Amino acid sequence: MPCNFNFFRCMQFLMLLLITACTSGENPAADGNPENEGTKKTAILLINHGSRSNEWKRQLLELERRVSSRVAAIEGIDTLATAFMEHAEPSIAASLRNLDRKGYTDIIVIPVFLSVGTHVFDDIPTIFGQKQNPTTIEQMKLDGIEHYIPLARTHLSRPLEFSELIGKNVLRRAQALSANPSEEGLVLVGYGSSGFQENWEHLFRNTGKQVCKEGGFGGYTTAWCGHVAHYSPDSTASAIRRILKKHERAIVIPLLVSFSEKFQIGIIGEGVNAVDDNEKRVRYKPDSILPDGELEAWIVKMAKTHAAAIQTGKTLQ
Amino acid sequence: MAKFDKARKINNVLHRDLGYFFAALIIAYSISGIALNHMDNWNPDFVITKKEIALDRRYDNNDITPDRIEAFSALAGENGFRLYDFPSERQVKIYYRNATMQIDLASGKGTYEKVSRRPLFYQVNVLHRNSVEWWKWVSDLFALMLIAITVTGMFMLRGNNGLKGRGKWLLAAGTIPPLIAVIAQQF
Repeated sequence: MPCNFNFFRCMQFLMLLLITACTSGENPAADGNPENEGTKKTAILLINHGSRSNEWKRQLLELERRVSSRVAAIEGIDTLATAFMEHAEPSIAASLRNLDRKGYTDIIVIPVFLSVGTHVFDDIPTIFGQKQNPTTIEQMKLDGIEHYIPLARTHLSRPLEFSELIGKNVLRRAQALSANPSEEGLVLVGYGSSGFQENWEHLFRNTGKQVCKEGGFGGYTTAWCGHVAHYSPDSTASAIRRILKKHERAIVIPLLVSFSEKFQIGIIGEGVNAVDDNEKRVRYKPDSILPDGELEAWIVKMAKTHAAAIQTGKTLQ
Repeated sequence: MAKFDKARKINNVLHRDLGYFFAALIIAYSISGIALNHMDNWNPDFVITKKEIALDRRYDNNDITPDRIEAFSALAGENGFRLYDFPSERQVKIYYRNATMQIDLASGKGTYEKVSRRPLFYQVNVLHRNSVEWWKWVSDLFALMLIAITVTGMFMLRGNNGLKGRGKWLLAAGTIPPLIAVIAQQF
């Protein structure tokens, strides 16, 4: 009887066995293959712009801490993490890599950003491979922002603009500074966005109208403190002067997600100081949208909506 | 006296050799410095080529299909596209390999933008911005060496052209512009 033992076949089999054993250990999503519906593991990733300011970072991490138990209680959600787009760690890429390593199959990305802008529309989806915006890719190479395409499926949620909380937040902060709303005008100061300025102006107009109507304020105007205003205090100072021409006092509200010395003190604060008689006629507190209970509730709501969609296999717009 | 002469000789050799060694980097940082100083007025890193696009008519968000996107792309000379998305109800943005096109559907007008690296400036800006992680340490060393070049430069010559002669006046004059800027900033 001829011997059927083939040495090379045997070696091939052994090699295949070895490779399979090695790669199954290396593949971070081996336990959570997105195709394997039976082993879904879902994470929430709260993404924000990031800043060199420690206080900015502290407020965002505090937000995570405050919502963590409510998010963990949602069926289908296994963990919650925070990531910063730039100037702070952990980065988005590092966080996604970490979640991949832990075998998550789905990642719900909630952008804690005020409105749709280049970051939410192009930069963040490009970082995790949903889009490939050439300008973003080149700019991020220069800025040292890493891309990472996760093995897990990503589900990008909408920014804060699509909720009612901005108006409520501004109303609460304006009322805290107000002495007599009918004698006062509001100055809403935001970052702005060169590519999406129309959206930003629309959001600020709606917010201004809503707060004036509900709070009884005499009027409102807007100012910008970001790139569109060349990071100059002039836009804030001009807006305050416009309000003071018509009203007795100006109430200045920064519509920034978190606090950064550069913006609330350096740019907006300087704009306030540049106005004559500002001590008597301008009321300004260098605060931010955070902390806000409604924002926490909005995150929980977003997490619930997306978790339910993942479980039922629906796609959210 | 001979001791001082020897020290001056070492000083001059240091100034000369550090000057030669760092010449390329000094020029690179200077070019990049000028470029980045004016970044509000131009893009120092990329050349963005824009082309205005006019559609045959106005469109609605619901009219948009992949075939229609292909047709829009052809107006800009693109044969295909990677992806499209809607920044707002009335806008569509189309992504290509090195370009994007944003169209206002309500007005039927759009802008096609092609991005490419600005030669020389992009490369020197990479250094100046410390875009390569470890480069910041080289950059720190470079800064220290610039101090060394400056200090050794002040002690190169003796007599009327040295620090004790015209040097002290020029040194004092050189501090005036930054002093004025710092004082002006206070008001």
